[in-house]
Amino acid sequence: MHTESLKRQRRNITIAAICVVVGLLFALPQLGLSVYFMHTLIGVFIWIIVANSLRLLGLSGQGSIGHAAFMAIGAYTSAILAKFLGWSPWITMPIGVLVTVVVGFLVAVPFTRVRGIYFTMVSLFFGIGVLAVNQVFNKWTGGYSGIISIPRLFAYIKTPYYYFCLALMVICLLIMYRLEHSRIGLTWKAVAQSYSVASSIGINEAWQRILCLGVSCFFAAIAGVAYAHYYVILTQETFSFNTSINVFVYMTVGGAGLFAGPIAGTAVLLIIPELLRDLREYVPFIYAAILLIVLFLMPQGLAGLPAQLWQLIKRPARAKRMASEKEVGERAP
Amino acid sequence: MLLRVSNLTVHYGKAVALENVSMEVAEGSVVTLVGANGAGKTTLLRAMSGLIPATSGGIWFRDRKINGLQAPKIVEMGLVHIPQGRRLFPYLTVMSNLQLGASLRNDKVAVKQDLDNVFQHFPRLYERRNQKAGTLSGGEQQMVAIGRGLMAAPKLLLMDEPSLGLAPLMVAELVPVIKYINERGISVLLVEQNVSLALGVASQGYALQVGRIVLEGDIEKFKTSEVVKTAYLGR
Repeated sequence: MHTESLKRQRRNITIAAICVVVGLLFALPQLGLSVYFMHTLIGVFIWIIVANSLRLLGLSGQGSIGHAAFMAIGAYTSAILAKFLGWSPWITMPIGVLVTVVVGFLVAVPFTRVRGIYFTMVSLFFGIGVLAVNQVFNKWTGGYSGIISIPRLFAYIKTPYYYFCLALMVICLLIMYRLEHSRIGLTWKAVAQSYSVASSIGINEAWQRILCLGVSCFFAAIAGVAYAHYYVILTQETFSFNTSINVFVYMTVGGAGLFAGPIAGTAVLLIIPELLRDLREYVPFIYAAILLIVLFLMPQGLAGLPAQLWQLIKRPARAKRMASEKEVGERAP
Repeated sequence: MLLRVSNLTVHYGKAVALENVSMEVAEGSVVTLVGANGAGKTTLLRAMSGLIPATSGGIWFRDRKINGLQAPKIVEMGLVHIPQGRRLFPYLTVMSNLQLGASLRNDKVAVKQDLDNVFQHFPRLYERRNQKAGTLSGGEQQMVAIGRGLMAAPKLLLMDEPSLGLAPLMVAELVPVIKYINERGISVLLVEQNVSLALGVASQGYALQVGRIVLEGDIEKFKTSEVVKTAYLGR
């Protein structure tokens, strides 16, 4: 069919574009990328994983503004085990992720009993609660001042970190994309649209929302452990309420409805301040301007901009065609 | 007996919605349940499919007591509910809506076969398979809802007012659809306010009035009954 071949063509173009971008990212260190910019990009890779894990949670209709807490659990677990027990980060990182997923599933059971805005509120309290726990166990976590000189994954050079985080991001994104377009993803979307209809056709919607939160925690924790062993310092501020809100903003500005949304949002909002370093004191204003422009003018977010522009180009042509069709219609009796 | 309800009582808070309701659906039959607004028809269906709890009494499906079981378990056993007002997932495609009907089944080949059957019987849905369900007309949406029910491989289909809000032409189309479903060996419990549709396809009937069964038996009895008139018009 005509529309399907068109669709396939568009899909092929998209895949080609993604391959070019990923290839370019892998080639960048060879092309003389500055150490400073490499550092920025590593941060971007890590936060893209988190922002997309938040979107994954959103698929089942659950919005979290405490997601940094799950990063924190993974990051602190791995950091403490590596620092105080002297285990290799390569072992403590999977442990950190595992612990987070277990905690995620455990808290999901009571949390998913509430829906919508109430779930969002509970997620906020959870985020604050985790910070309080961090204070209580300050013997290991360091409390406010945090935990420093966490063992590194690689020596003091950035390039291996760059490749590691890039590969991690690509793999996580691939899995999340496949998941979204699988039967499980479809079920989550159904639960998000109407939990009562979903359960009437036999979907165990409570379990699906628990599962979704657990899977989302898995990816948030991956980003968390990568963060811990790259920045090698974790403080109270690292995974505060502010961080959770930032991640939410990355997702929303990029466009929560599109898979590319959190990617675009994170990249733009983290890279722009770096490019405008000379205008440092104005960065908050520029930030605010971007947020307002996106909120008012781009209903699909930054990632929806190409499609929006395409519509703008196409619209005059279509209006013209419709006008001529109308003329024909009027002439015919 | 495929489905047996005995002395079922359901409360909403303190209000009695159903009182001592008993009914049966035989394997391979089409049974209709009639009654005015607020008589408790939908409540009865919701109790059967495990969406609301019963205060007392029992529901047996394929010789197993199902009240108390969770909704997904009941669907898995083959009792599938097509809710009132064609509750679809409006922002998902027709295809996704149909696939979700089979979300409890693992037999991929049979699911594919059932999907082909649905598309064969409702070619309109095949044309619109990639369209969002919310953009379809009322009649088409009802076909999606029925198709989604069929995708669950039901033994008994509970249809809650499929004619609601449909144009007369579309209502007339429901008769062959229900007959087709029944010919495939699926029993149907049809809740209807549209008398001619209900009496046209069913062989047995029950009339509910304010939570009680007031008439039951062969469909011929219903065609002449005064009670049916009051059950529809209220009193």
